Amino acid sequence: MTSESPNSSRKVVVHLRATGDAPILKQAKFKIAGTDKFAKVIAFLRRQLHRDTLFVYVNSAFSPNPDELVNDLYNNFGFDGKLVVNYACSMAWG
Amino acid sequence: MVGVGSEAQKYVWEGAIPLQIHLHESEITTLPSPEPALILAPRIGYLPLLVPQIKPYFSDTLPPGVDTVWFDFKGMPLKWYIPTGVLFDLLCLEPERPWNLTVHFRGYPGDLLSPCEGEDSVKWSYINSLKEAAYIINGNSKNVMNMSQIDQFELWRSVLNREMEAYLRISSKLKLGIVGEDYTKIVMSPRQSNNEADSVGPSRAGRIPVRLYVRNVGEYTDDLEDVPPVDSWDRICYMNKPVEIQREEGKILNLYDAIKMLLPEFFPDEPSIDEELSKLELEDEPGIGGSNLSDPDPDTNTVRKTELVTVKNETQLYPSHPTGKSEIKLVRIQGIEPKLDIPFSWVVTNLIYPEHFLHMCVCVGVSQDPSKTS
Repeated sequence: MTSESPNSSRKVVVHLRATGDAPILKQAKFKIAGTDKFAKVIAFLRRQLHRDTLFVYVNSAFSPNPDELVNDLYNNFGFDGKLVVNYACSMAWG
Repeated sequence: MVGVGSEAQKYVWEGAIPLQIHLHESEITTLPSPEPALILAPRIGYLPLLVPQIKPYFSDTLPPGVDTVWFDFKGMPLKWYIPTGVLFDLLCLEPERPWNLTVHFRGYPGDLLSPCEGEDSVKWSYINSLKEAAYIINGNSKNVMNMSQIDQFELWRSVLNREMEAYLRISSKLKLGIVGEDYTKIVMSPRQSNNEADSVGPSRAGRIPVRLYVRNVGEYTDDLEDVPPVDSWDRICYMNKPVEIQREEGKILNLYDAIKMLLPEFFPDEPSIDEELSKLELEDEPGIGGSNLSDPDPDTNTVRKTELVTVKNETQLYPSHPTGKSEIKLVRIQGIEPKLDIPFSWVVTNLIYPEHFLHMCVCVGVSQDPSKTS
């Protein structure tokens, strides 16, 4: 019920956190359209870090499938107004 | 606790779809062309897991190169991490048996499908879905993450080999048991059951992980064979949204209620599904009339109250969310179209997939009738 705010075109704040030996980004927070897929977050990180292999997680817990909508992830797993995304160069949480 | 599983669960675990798999013509290098492969695909399984069985049929005719296997149905590349049963329910509306698929060993469409390296990728995806479901249920994934290596291995093996009892034994340790008899009790008597509901605290008991696939078939006659095949995943709206259990006294949530929570835009103010509904309790929920994508036009809202289907009819396929201008035609879970008045807890207990998600295929469309006069 909570997700049905009138404008699902809103932006979601994604907080990127490096894990393990992954390089830290200069800008850790950015906004992305809620209607974008998680694949876009992954692609962004790959470009920024120049790496093809990257492990991307939500809340240090699980890796969503790339088709999940950022809105859905935010509604289900976001808190404090943002979605926490962790990235690692090697498998961090299985 | 869950011991041996219900009869319905057994059907789900044993469920399989007969496949007739053709090698794509561009990869046939010998004459005569190879015969198609006929195999049974488990509903709860994943297409890449079938490759070891399929490969021998075609290995003699393949062009040189490295295998990067993928499948398509009528030209649409199939996403490998969606359980095979869901793909079938969603894409083959009029179930064809055997289901004719095309296999490719070359030319992986990396722009359309995420990379797959066989069983390892599938296992990884499975475990991550399980963790995601656990997060929705418990607010964290710890129980899955803290599984011993042996248990994780055994769990995956039970899914791979469809050993339901082994699966139930191991997965019961994960305390994802939101379902079953206790669950119904919690729904029925919210306050009193607090004490006895030991491991299943009410705050956590109320969320069921659902993956929802909404397919818009546009104008719709009653003949499923007339529905054109999907040609792109962009035409399917993929939603992940838990069903939140509202605890109201004496009320058991049924499938209808659950669908209404998942897709409120299809339930403006009146029941829009003309199926047999034993009990309808329509709460007045604020904001339910407004559609998501288009601007919420106050006039349309009032119009909708009286006229349901004739809301102006642009059958645009929504890239992200349904616009509420068409109606739900079909709900299919595990190959069946359940009656909407059955308790949702029954649906969850018996029809979930082994990663603890309930995958629901919903078909929406606009009735083809002369009322398009607006």
